[in-house]
Amino acid sequence: MIERLMLIVRMALRNLRRQLRRSLLTASAMVLGIGLLMFIRALEGGAHLMYVETATRMGTGHIAMEHPDYMGSQDLADRIAAADLERAFRAVEETARPEELLAVFPQVNVGGLAQSASSSIPVRIGGVDPELERDVSFLADRVVEGRYLQPGDRLEGIVGVGVAERLRLELGSRLVLMAAGAGGDLESQLVLVTGIFRTGVPEVDRGVVQLPISTAREWLGLGDDATSMSVILASDDRTGSIADAVRERLRDEGVDADRIAVRPWWEAMPDLHAGLRADAVQTYVMLVILLGIVALAVVNSVLMAVLNRTREFGVMRALGLNRASVGAMVMVEGVILTFASGLLGMLLGLVISMGLFRDGVDISWLFGGDLAFAGAIVDPVITPAVLTVDVVAILSIVMTIGILASLYPAWHATRIEPAEAMKTDA
Amino acid sequence: MKPQGNGSASSPAVETHELWKTFGEGDTAVHAVQNVSVTIGTGEFVALCGPSGSGKTTLVNLIGGLTDPTRGQVRVDGREVGGMSERERAQLRLDRIGFVFQAYNLLPVLTALENAEFPLMLRGVPRDERRAEVSKLFEHIGLGGLEDRRPGALSGGQQQRVAVARAVLGAPALVLADEPTANLDTQASDALLEVMEVLNRERGVTFIFCTHDPRVMRRARRIIRLVDGHVERDAEKESGELPSWVLDPVET
Repeated sequence: MIERLMLIVRMALRNLRRQLRRSLLTASAMVLGIGLLMFIRALEGGAHLMYVETATRMGTGHIAMEHPDYMGSQDLADRIAAADLERAFRAVEETARPEELLAVFPQVNVGGLAQSASSSIPVRIGGVDPELERDVSFLADRVVEGRYLQPGDRLEGIVGVGVAERLRLELGSRLVLMAAGAGGDLESQLVLVTGIFRTGVPEVDRGVVQLPISTAREWLGLGDDATSMSVILASDDRTGSIADAVRERLRDEGVDADRIAVRPWWEAMPDLHAGLRADAVQTYVMLVILLGIVALAVVNSVLMAVLNRTREFGVMRALGLNRASVGAMVMVEGVILTFASGLLGMLLGLVISMGLFRDGVDISWLFGGDLAFAGAIVDPVITPAVLTVDVVAILSIVMTIGILASLYPAWHATRIEPAEAMKTDA
Repeated sequence: MKPQGNGSASSPAVETHELWKTFGEGDTAVHAVQNVSVTIGTGEFVALCGPSGSGKTTLVNLIGGLTDPTRGQVRVDGREVGGMSERERAQLRLDRIGFVFQAYNLLPVLTALENAEFPLMLRGVPRDERRAEVSKLFEHIGLGGLEDRRPGALSGGQQQRVAVARAVLGAPALVLADEPTANLDTQASDALLEVMEVLNRERGVTFIFCTHDPRVMRRARRIIRLVDGHVERDAEKESGELPSWVLDPVET
């Protein structure tokens, strides 16, 4: 049995070599197709990682912790108490490994009014910890005038370039922020403009003001409470499991989901998640279509090989080789061709992704300006990221296609009648 | 050593009963084999002769289960071939029958040795055993040293000898040979026929040849002449001389 199998494989290999030109042409089309698909997928994977990175640092963090009702109510009554913040902080530190954890910080986010000598506009006001956020904040890198917040600041604040324009603010200008405090009364706070940032996202540039969290807490009467807590991780790989573990640990300490909702970014930012998924699905659909075309090339190549060897199959059948073995021989031929091409294609994809474009692909020429995704300006240089899941998926699809594409030629070969076949010239 | 297989000792090697094979239908129908009833005993050395198109190859294909009869029965070792499944027929061919086809029909991707040992390998004969058998036979029929050559690198005569070796190795119960000595010179064809005679004499292998070659017919002990698909003459041969009817033109 093993020997028969080995003979089948040996004959399949020799037949592929015998039709070297046809095999090489089919294989090169597949190698090129799979290699480029892999590169496209790696580019997309790299872009997605970047989008997630940008979105998590600008938005909720990889893991967002908030009072479950705050997003809807925007009422400071729905905030996280200082003791729970402390518990959440401990839960994160005890769950994530130190090298995984880049930052954990509380924030105060409220809606309010910003008023200058000339005008007033509605804004989102963020109270942030300059020391904890400086290294990971998205806005810290987007300051175009002045500086980002720093430890020791009290009345200093940064504003979006649109806010500055609308309120006619410059560095050193004063503005007054007004918002409902913890007690329900309207409270105001003086801020000195110390930095102006540009993200490229109109909603952010035209409507965000940040000030030190200590100032915000004092102004709004929050004590050591906060509206949210964000966790920034070094990589997105374990976001889900860390979020689960933190939730578990908080529950053990008696902090249930009705006090703190622990959500990974894809739950906190469902639109972003849906967008990325749709993008990935689109690529996979394209991948399947392209590989379908590749499958036709395999069908064509293997079927031609069968038709050209009708007489040989007839002889083998006449000598006592059963239909199943004849079919297996053809299947093996198709699968070897596809699998070898698949592996070489992957290799080509890796060389293109990790070698030729290791430093990234600059796609700024495509947009002619800033590249925004999900509300954030992102780096136009995309570094390809080859993900294990993609390698496994592409290889699986290629193998499936190899098998499916060989089915018809194999079936055809099993139908060959020995006596008829030996009359043919092929 | 008796030929392998499990056929009944009392059954003839081959038996056909009112056998017909028709190609096409209606006005264009061609009756390649018409009402052929022959019985060939175990250990016979039979030549099928007759002009081209007389139905020799079709009859051999019917006996080997390579094609289905339109009517009638074929029995090999007492087993009805027509009633077998495709798998059983393949197994019968593998276990009991050796074929020599008209046009060598070697597998081009296999070497001479691999071609010759192909049926033995399918039968599961251990590698060392079959290699030893192939080497011995190859030496005997002048193929020694050509084991690793592919068919494309062999002459027509050498390919024919490999094809014959493939059919007779392992001493099947029945060898069906379609023009086995075509393309061979006298010396080579004598060597081959000698091998076949030895197998027939010592191991009781039944041989049925389709042939135009007087050298083959001289060695045969029974000659069946087919004309237009039916048996015109069927006679035992007493001496090495050929009866005159063997080479007679077709009677119309």
